[in-house]
Amino acid sequence: MDASVVSAAQMPDYGDDMAVDNESDDGNTHIVTPGEVVTRDTAFMRGHGTYTEDDALVASMAGVVDRVNKLISVRPLRTRYNGEIGDVVVGRITEVGPRRWKVDINARQDAVLLLSSVNLPGGVQRRKTESDELQMRSFFGEGDMLSAEVQAFFQDGAASLHTRSIKYGKLRNGSLVIVPSALVKRTKSHFATLPCGVDVILGLNGYIWVAKHVAISPEIVNQPDALYHNENEPISDAERQTIARVCSSIVALSRHNNFINDTMIVYTFEASMGHPVKDMLKPDICQQIVLAARAQFREASLQ
Amino acid sequence: MSRLEIISPEGLRVDGRRPLELRRVNSRTAVLSQADGSAYIEQGNTKCLAAVYGPREPTKRAALLHDRALINVEYSVASFSSGERKQKLRRDRRLMEIASTIKRTFENVILTTTFPRSEIDIYLQVLQIDGGALHTAINAATLALVDAGIPMTDYVCACSAGYVNNQAILDLNYLEESAEIPTLTVALLPKSGKITMLGLESRLHLDKLEPVIQLASDGCKQLKENIDATIRESTKSLAKTILQ
Amino acid sequence: MLRNKAFIRKTKRGTIVKVVKEHYLRDDIYCGVAGCKLCVEQNVVLTSPRTSKTVNTPHFLVPDTNVLYHQIDVIEHKAFTDVVVLQTVLEELRHRSFPVYNRVRSLISDPARRFYVFSNEHNRETYIEKQKDETPNDRNDRAIRAATRWYNEHVGGRWTFVLVTDDADNRKKAQAEGLTTFSVRQYVASMTDHPELVDMVAAVDEEHVDEEDKFSYPEHLSVSQMSAGLRSGAFLQGKLSISSNNFLEGSIFAEVDKEEKTVMIVGREHLNRGIHGDVVAVQLLPRSEWRAPVGVILEEEEVENGDDEPVNAEDSMARAEDRMNVDEAAKETVPTGKIVGIIKRNWRPYCGTIDKSSVRSSSGLSTQQMVFFWAMDKKIPKIRIRTRQAEKLVGRRIVVAIDGWAKNARYPSGHYIRTLGDVGEQATETEVVLLEHDVPFAPFSPQVLSFLPPEGDSWIVRNEHLEGREDFRHLDVCSIDPPGCTDIDDALHCRSLPNGNFEVGVHIADVSHFVKPENAMDLEARRRGTTVYLVNKRIDMLPGLLGTNLCSLRSNVDRLAFSCIWEMTQNADVVNVRYTKSVIRSKASLTYDEAQARLDDATLTDPVTMGIKGLNRLAKQLRARRMEAGALTLASPEIRFKLEEDQQDPVDVEMKELKETNALVEEFMLLANIWVATKIYSAFPESSMLRRHPKPPTSNFEALIKAVGELGITLDVQTSKTLADSLDKAVVPREPYINKLIRIMTTRCMMQAVYFCSGTISEPDFWHYGLATRIYTHFTSPIRRYSDLVVHRLLAVAIGYEKNYSSELIDKVKLKELCDVLNYRHRMAQQASRSSVELFTNLFFKDKVIKEEGYVVRVMKNGFSVLIPKYGIEGYVYSTREESADGGASSPFTYDRDSNRLVAMNATIKLFSKVVVVVNVEEAGGAARRSKLTLRLVEPNIPGLSVNESEIKSGKELLEMEKNGIGRPNKKSKTERAR
Repeated sequence: MDASVVSAAQMPDYGDDMAVDNESDDGNTHIVTPGEVVTRDTAFMRGHGTYTEDDALVASMAGVVDRVNKLISVRPLRTRYNGEIGDVVVGRITEVGPRRWKVDINARQDAVLLLSSVNLPGGVQRRKTESDELQMRSFFGEGDMLSAEVQAFFQDGAASLHTRSIKYGKLRNGSLVIVPSALVKRTKSHFATLPCGVDVILGLNGYIWVAKHVAISPEIVNQPDALYHNENEPISDAERQTIARVCSSIVALSRHNNFINDTMIVYTFEASMGHPVKDMLKPDICQQIVLAARAQFREASLQ
Repeated sequence: MSRLEIISPEGLRVDGRRPLELRRVNSRTAVLSQADGSAYIEQGNTKCLAAVYGPREPTKRAALLHDRALINVEYSVASFSSGERKQKLRRDRRLMEIASTIKRTFENVILTTTFPRSEIDIYLQVLQIDGGALHTAINAATLALVDAGIPMTDYVCACSAGYVNNQAILDLNYLEESAEIPTLTVALLPKSGKITMLGLESRLHLDKLEPVIQLASDGCKQLKENIDATIRESTKSLAKTILQ
Repeated sequence: MLRNKAFIRKTKRGTIVKVVKEHYLRDDIYCGVAGCKLCVEQNVVLTSPRTSKTVNTPHFLVPDTNVLYHQIDVIEHKAFTDVVVLQTVLEELRHRSFPVYNRVRSLISDPARRFYVFSNEHNRETYIEKQKDETPNDRNDRAIRAATRWYNEHVGGRWTFVLVTDDADNRKKAQAEGLTTFSVRQYVASMTDHPELVDMVAAVDEEHVDEEDKFSYPEHLSVSQMSAGLRSGAFLQGKLSISSNNFLEGSIFAEVDKEEKTVMIVGREHLNRGIHGDVVAVQLLPRSEWRAPVGVILEEEEVENGDDEPVNAEDSMARAEDRMNVDEAAKETVPTGKIVGIIKRNWRPYCGTIDKSSVRSSSGLSTQQMVFFWAMDKKIPKIRIRTRQAEKLVGRRIVVAIDGWAKNARYPSGHYIRTLGDVGEQATETEVVLLEHDVPFAPFSPQVLSFLPPEGDSWIVRNEHLEGREDFRHLDVCSIDPPGCTDIDDALHCRSLPNGNFEVGVHIADVSHFVKPENAMDLEARRRGTTVYLVNKRIDMLPGLLGTNLCSLRSNVDRLAFSCIWEMTQNADVVNVRYTKSVIRSKASLTYDEAQARLDDATLTDPVTMGIKGLNRLAKQLRARRMEAGALTLASPEIRFKLEEDQQDPVDVEMKELKETNALVEEFMLLANIWVATKIYSAFPESSMLRRHPKPPTSNFEALIKAVGELGITLDVQTSKTLADSLDKAVVPREPYINKLIRIMTTRCMMQAVYFCSGTISEPDFWHYGLATRIYTHFTSPIRRYSDLVVHRLLAVAIGYEKNYSSELIDKVKLKELCDVLNYRHRMAQQASRSSVELFTNLFFKDKVIKEEGYVVRVMKNGFSVLIPKYGIEGYVYSTREESADGGASSPFTYDRDSNRLVAMNATIKLFSKVVVVVNVEEAGGAARRSKLTLRLVEPNIPGLSVNESEIKSGKELLEMEKNGIGRPNKKSKTERAR
């Protein structure tokens, strides 16, 4: 018990400072590590990444302290995806079950996609029939990629997804890049078509889909096969190269722990043009590209 | 010939340390890009690599727990880790025992109830052994878990201590361990001083147990400073890039 | 706090493994010099620098490894103080010789000597890396120089640090680096206050001017060649033991053809400078050169006496070796080899005398000369030493250490250490016995004595002692011991119980109450291991206050005891047993005779006597049962000396006699030991101290079985039971002594009983062969045996009396080491006793010529051994009358190998023949190494060998002549020391 008294005494008491800002000591982010007392002020509520012990709010993770009003939470900088309702995610089917799919979305559990949460061919409002249940695999089979939105959470924390929008659904014609989920920021749109003619879906779970741009027409919904077929469109070598370059650009950003959004990808993409795709991820070139992109980003934001 | 002189009458150990000194510690986190969290630690010449995956969907549905996360530890020792190359047995009981010890050590510290029906995998690979592989592995696992953003009530710091010539000595190296010195490994939560694991595989007189545990605990607390510094360093640099 | 600044990987390539070690360099290794401003001193040792004529400034010494290793005797001299011992040096020393290392360590721990250890290998400023192509030795020399230089710079010229090394090359390098340096000889020469030091300087690597060219041993192989050879199986490794009969015959135990066998090494060249005790590498000779064990006795002294000139020596050597070669007809050859290298020397200081004939008396007093030294131990070759005091040393017992043996030197060279006293003087010779057997005999240090009870003599049992003890003061306990016994370990009692059974108690002195583990007294007792009994002296294991007073269970005083209480039926079946700490009050301290008298007197009915009678009844039954199980009754020709009161010179000799009461006490001691062994083994299966007696291999008995076969006696050695039975049957009606003789000889075939730690051996091997019991230990003599003390401690824990016990008690490894030490001490103590008996036998026969009957116990080609029961001595009778080197030519006997007998015209000498011999002592003097018993044959009368009455009478005169060194009498025989 001696030890705990000592260590507690050594910890600076943020009880008062905390009320001011989460940016404490000389403008730096307030970083805590597991077991560190965040505050002893009982007025605060404990949020994620904290627990209470003897009236003290203690961090359970290493990360930055976030304060929203009276709620204090510790946000780890590297962690699995923690979904929120409305998040756009990219996932992969891992299992086909009774009236549901299991989807790997890089979260602590696989998400669930109910049969009732997908658009079925033949009209948005079509009733699910028993035959639909029997031919679920013809919609999504194991290994298929899809984009979706987090609709709700189950009791145990598993996410429930839906693809009831023309934006979501099976993914084709492209390639998956996995980055730490913390690097993908929430923005207005996670669907972007880059100037180079490549579609990017920035899943908030850190899965990013890079694909050939294909125009979507609203009537696709009514074409029986268009939604769920598994055939890629023909992709030319130049298109493949561009997709690869975009993928590498994203990997380069993630290597340097840079946040990822469409603008940043474009800047990186542009900065990489001087190098062949295969060389992009060589450490020195990679760094050079990212630095160039960052510089450009700062310039742009200053304007 | 004669037995090795573990502590010279001048108070120095074979490698030049004094009895109450730790070995040099070097650690890093985020050394693997694929894992959710990873770490590498060197305590003297004992080197260990840790990778943490999860929490994630359990690979084996049967093992799933409804109220908390399942922790899975795999501990392996590289065949080139010691002086003599050993043929590795696929299911070495000894390694499995160590793995289960480590698993139990962390089960109490990780807030497993936040992740029902999930699984956390900890892979530990000892690259080089110079004594104290177990406690080095535990420290590596702690680093990797924190790196993976898995909530824990506290760090788990582990350290060994032995008793020889009427004196307790800290952090034994291979030479000392093989000299039939009773070696005690302690893993504790530095904040509360609570011990989560206590391992002793040879005879140690009850009278001597207390001082040896005390010494090992002090060693753990010293190590905590080191681990904490590493974590702060890496978190800070992450914060700098991510939160710009 | 971790203070390492840099760390270096030390890579050591062994056979396959690569060892990577950390090596921390520190800033907190201090110089130990008084008044140093740079170091935060914790331990200032170097306070008073030395002064000397040859060094201008006050200085300290820095010796290198070789100096400490070879010149330790000089360094130990009190004149050597203020020395810096470098870690490099200590580590090297540890590898080379652990005993020397320990001696240096004890110097370091003596504050008066001011030896300071500087851990230069861990100091950041003095550590040096091994350079490419540098040998470890050169690297260490450089490290030593670097440290010396550091010291000189560190103290800033206030004082000098002088490097002492005997390596000329190293000195040159050091001088080039600006260091002051000396060899030991140079430095010692400047210490004019202590002239004796010059003699003590070991002659290492010094040129041997004489007898080179003429003689050269084969070169020893290098370490790597040897280890390669050992690994490939080309060489054998073993500890060389020189035959006690023949100094040119040695042997090792090694694995030949997948079997443990004796490998003989015969002849000076093959022995190749191996000295008794060395661990050597041996190469087997081709099978055609294998030989049979030579059945002759050969003493170096005899061969070489008077041979000053090397040419002669060569001749006599050749003769000697010839004499060993005669045996061509030998059929059964044994593996024979030659020494190709020495793996580990095992030299120790030797006691002995200067060879008078090698001293040149004409030379001036202070000039140094080479003289020869004879060690007491016949197995050690003579040693050349340089001395200035040669004449003073003649006729004195001195101690000498071997320094080395160059390949072109016939004999090893050594140096003088100290003088013990005059040859033949009882005190000196007793000290020699103790030294030769490594018996620690210094008085107990004040530190040891400080752990005695402060009350001293007036210590009494008080109430606080009673806690946890049973009070047996009301019981009629008595002790039975030999007359004059002052350290009474054991006492007994016996009383009838209402149910008709008996309660029998064995009470053992509670030494563990006084000697607590790990204190100085305990450590000293552990070092001594056992009390050593010499004829005229007893070297106690514990201070006298404990041994003869407080622990001794004397009559009519309260004493603490450890008791073992049995309930027994009339038939001596144990119904119940318990062990307890107790307090007793012995009612009587009896001698064996007194107890016997009480037993025999049917009229006595007092409780003590009744107790003895009860015990005796039970003992007989116990004994019968033990015999039934196959316990052996063995015998040894033990004698007692009656010493003259004041002079302690022996005036008479008598055989030790065994009475019924001896057997009584023995029986209950055995019983206690066995029961205690069982108890501690059940409580400490891994760490009990037990005693076992291995079954001797049948091959040990082969010769004996053959010999007794001629008497029509058969020995069945299958089990101890069959052996015991056949020994009982081995009776020759006309010669009652034969049975005892056979028992004596059977005893010699036995293995040694040893202490061991129960966790190191599997249970079936616990068997005690001689006692025929499955488990045994020593519990009953804690005053005189350390093993018993350990057993007491174990038992105290086992019965829950002692709740706190040290971890030592259950440390298997430490206990095993302790067992090894105790076994060694025990063996040494036995040998010392025997040597002491021998010494007194010689004193007894001094100036006497006695005719006595004896029995032949061993027949060899050029003589036979005779055992004289009356005096318990055994001696050798040569079969040739003339002491001639031409061997058996003039012998009246012919040796019949098949039946192992010597046949003369009118008599046959074979095993167990009865002969009459005359005994007298050849006095040790100037030239002779040691006093010798000589035996001369009287009967059977064999012309040309036996002496007649007139010659016996003139024996006195011969003695005189011999003493004066006028001439050599007809020496026919000499004793072999009883071993």
